[in-house]
Amino acid sequence: MDQALQVIFSATFIAAVLRVSTPILLPALGGLISDLGGVVNIALEGIMLTAACAGVLISVATQSEWPGLLAGVVMGVLMALVLAFFHLNLKADLILAAIAINILASGGTIFVVFLLTGDKGSTSALVSKQMPFVEIPIIKDIPVIGPIVSGQNLLTYVAFIAVVLVAVFLYRTRAGIHLRAVGENPEAARSVGINVRAQQYLALGLSGLLAALGGVYLSMGYVKFFARDMTAGRGFIALAAIFLGGKTPWGTMIAALVFGAAEALSVQLGNLRIPNQLVQMIPYVATLVALVIYALVQRQRAIARQRKFRQTQTVAVGS
Amino acid sequence: MQATLPTTPSFDRAAERARVQRERRRTAMIDVLVTLGTIALALLVGFLVMLIVGKDPILAYSSLLGGPLSRTNRTGRWIEDATTLIILGLSVSIPFRARQFSLGAQGQMFMAAMIAAVIAIYVPMPPLVAVLLPLAAAMLAGFLVGLLPGLMKAYLNANEIVSTLMLNAVVVLLYDFLLTNVFTPPGSQSLRSEAIQAGSMLARFTTLLGVNLGRANLAVLFAAILVVAVWALLNRTPFGYEIRTIGANEKFARYGGINTRRAIALSFAIGGAIAAVAGVHLVLGVHQRLIPGIAAGLGFEGIVVALLARNNPLLIPITGLFYSYLRVGGDIMEQEAAVGTEIVLVIQAVIILLLTAQVLVNYVKSRSRPVRET
Repeated sequence: MDQALQVIFSATFIAAVLRVSTPILLPALGGLISDLGGVVNIALEGIMLTAACAGVLISVATQSEWPGLLAGVVMGVLMALVLAFFHLNLKADLILAAIAINILASGGTIFVVFLLTGDKGSTSALVSKQMPFVEIPIIKDIPVIGPIVSGQNLLTYVAFIAVVLVAVFLYRTRAGIHLRAVGENPEAARSVGINVRAQQYLALGLSGLLAALGGVYLSMGYVKFFARDMTAGRGFIALAAIFLGGKTPWGTMIAALVFGAAEALSVQLGNLRIPNQLVQMIPYVATLVALVIYALVQRQRAIARQRKFRQTQTVAVGS
Repeated sequence: MQATLPTTPSFDRAAERARVQRERRRTAMIDVLVTLGTIALALLVGFLVMLIVGKDPILAYSSLLGGPLSRTNRTGRWIEDATTLIILGLSVSIPFRARQFSLGAQGQMFMAAMIAAVIAIYVPMPPLVAVLLPLAAAMLAGFLVGLLPGLMKAYLNANEIVSTLMLNAVVVLLYDFLLTNVFTPPGSQSLRSEAIQAGSMLARFTTLLGVNLGRANLAVLFAAILVVAVWALLNRTPFGYEIRTIGANEKFARYGGINTRRAIALSFAIGGAIAAVAGVHLVLGVHQRLIPGIAAGLGFEGIVVALLARNNPLLIPITGLFYSYLRVGGDIMEQEAAVGTEIVLVIQAVIILLLTAQVLVNYVKSRSRPVRET
C-alpha cells in the first residue's frame, strides 16, 4: 500500500497522468462540441483509429511527422463528414451510422495494414515518426513542476490549449453560440435564421478534427506504431468524460484527467503484484461509476429546479 | 334516443381489406428488394476496393462467395457461425425494437460462457440436466448482465452505448483473469480450461450424420426455438406490444399508461438472456471448454444481422445465414487469395450505412409507388 501511495504522489506519476489523459481529452472535447450541437458523435473511436493509422502510414511513406499529422487530421475530418453526410443529408440514424463508421475504421485499418505489411497486428516493423516532445526553457528547471509540465508531447500541450480554445469558441463566438442554440432547440434556431444543417456539419467536423488529433497522438506520440484496435475504447471513455464533466469544457478536462489518473494508476499498479486484468478494469469501472454519478447529479438538479419553479409559482400566486 | 350512424355507401369492407393486404405485400416486397440491392451494392464496394488495391477481385470473390460450400467441413463452419449469429441477431432485435442501442452482447456471451463452463466442468449431473442446468444458469447470468445497463438507462438515463461497452470490457477482462488464474489447470501447457463433462456436450452433426461438418452441433435447435419464441414475444404478448410501442414513440407509450422504464430495462435483460444462449453454444457445442477470447469479434455482428432483417425475428435466420456465409467466405478468401478477411467488416459497415440511410430507401420506395386508383 505504501508503495502504491508513493507511486501516486510522485512527479512522474502526474506527468504520466497528463500523458494518458491526452488521448481521452482530445476526443472528449470533440465529442462535447458535437453533443452541444445536438449531434453526439459516437464514432469518435473509429475516427481516432483511422487518424492513428493514416498518420503512421504517411509518416512512414514521407519519413516526416508533419505530413503524417496532416494526413491523420484530414482522414479523421473526412470520416466525420461522411457521418455528417449520412445523418444530415441521407437521414440515416446517427447512432447506427456511427457504429458503421466504427466498424469501417476497425476493419479498414487492419485491411490496409495487412495489405502493406503482411502483418495484422501492428506496424511495428515499419519505421514511423513521432510528434516532437517539447522542453519548455525556464520551466523545465523548476524542481517539481518542471518534470511534470515540461517535456511532454506537442499534442499534449495542444490538448490542454484546446480546452481554452473550445471554451472560447463555444461561449464567446457567434458560431459557437449558434451551434449551442441548434443543439438546444433546432426549430427555434431555424426560426431565427440559423442554418441548422451547416451548424451540425461544423459540430461534427470539429469533433472529427479533435478526435483525429487524439488518434494521431496515440500512434505518433504515446507510442510509435499503429496497432489493431489500439484506441481500446478511449473514444467511448471520452463520451463518458463529457457527461461526467457536466457538458462543459473545463468539467470535461477534469473528467478526462480523472480517467487518465485511473489508467495511469492501472499501469503503475501493474508493476506491483496485482493481477494485470483486474488493474486494467479500473478505467472501465470508473466510467460506469461516473455514468451513474452523473445521472444522479442530473436528477438532483432537475428536482431542485422543479422545487424552485414551484416556489416561484406560489410566491406569484400569493402576492 | 337513437343515433343514426353515418352511412358510407361507397365503403366495401372486403375490397378495402384486399387493398390493405395488397399494399402490405407490396411494401414487404420492396423491403426485400431494398435489402438485396443494398447487399449487392456493398459487395460491389468491396469488389472496387480490391480492384483499387491491386488484388485479383475475381479470385477473391470466387472464394468469398463459393468457399463455404466447397468442402463439407467449411459448410459445417458456416452452420456453426450462423447458429451464433442468428441467436445474436435475435438478442439484439429486442432492445433495438424499443430503440435502445444495447451493445452488451459481447460481455453477456463471455459471462454466459464462464457460468455454463463452471457448471459443466465441476458439477456432476445426469444426462439431460447436464445441458439444461448450464443453459439456465448462463441465461440468468446474461439476463443480469443485460439488466444492469438496462436499469441505468431506464431509471437514470445513463447512455446505454457507453455503459454496455464499458461493461463488455470489464466482463472480458474478468474472463481473462479467471481463465488465467482459476480455470486453467496448474501445469497446463496452454491457456485453456479442462474439457466439460461428456454429458454436457451438445452432439455434433459430424458424429450424428457421419459427414465431416466440423463443429456444427445441435445448438441449431436452440436457434430455431428462439426464432419462434422471440417472434411470439414481440408479436403476441403484452410485453412485445409495449416494446414496439416504445420503439415507435416513447412519449406516446408513457402517456398511454405503459411502464416504459420497466419495459426498457427488461428489453436489455431479455436480450442479455438470449445472447447468453450464444455463449452456451460456444462452450457446450463448439469448443467444449473455455479458451481465450471465446466470443471475441462477435460484438457488432448481431447488429448487422438484426438490421438486415429489420428486427423481424422471422427474417433473422435468413440474414444470419447470409452474413455468416460472408464471414466464413471471408476467412477462406484470406487463405486462398491473401485478401484480409477484414474486407467483410468493410462490407458490413457499408451495408449498415446504406440500410439506415432513410433518404435512399425512401427514394427507391417512391420510385416504385403505383398510381393511386381513386
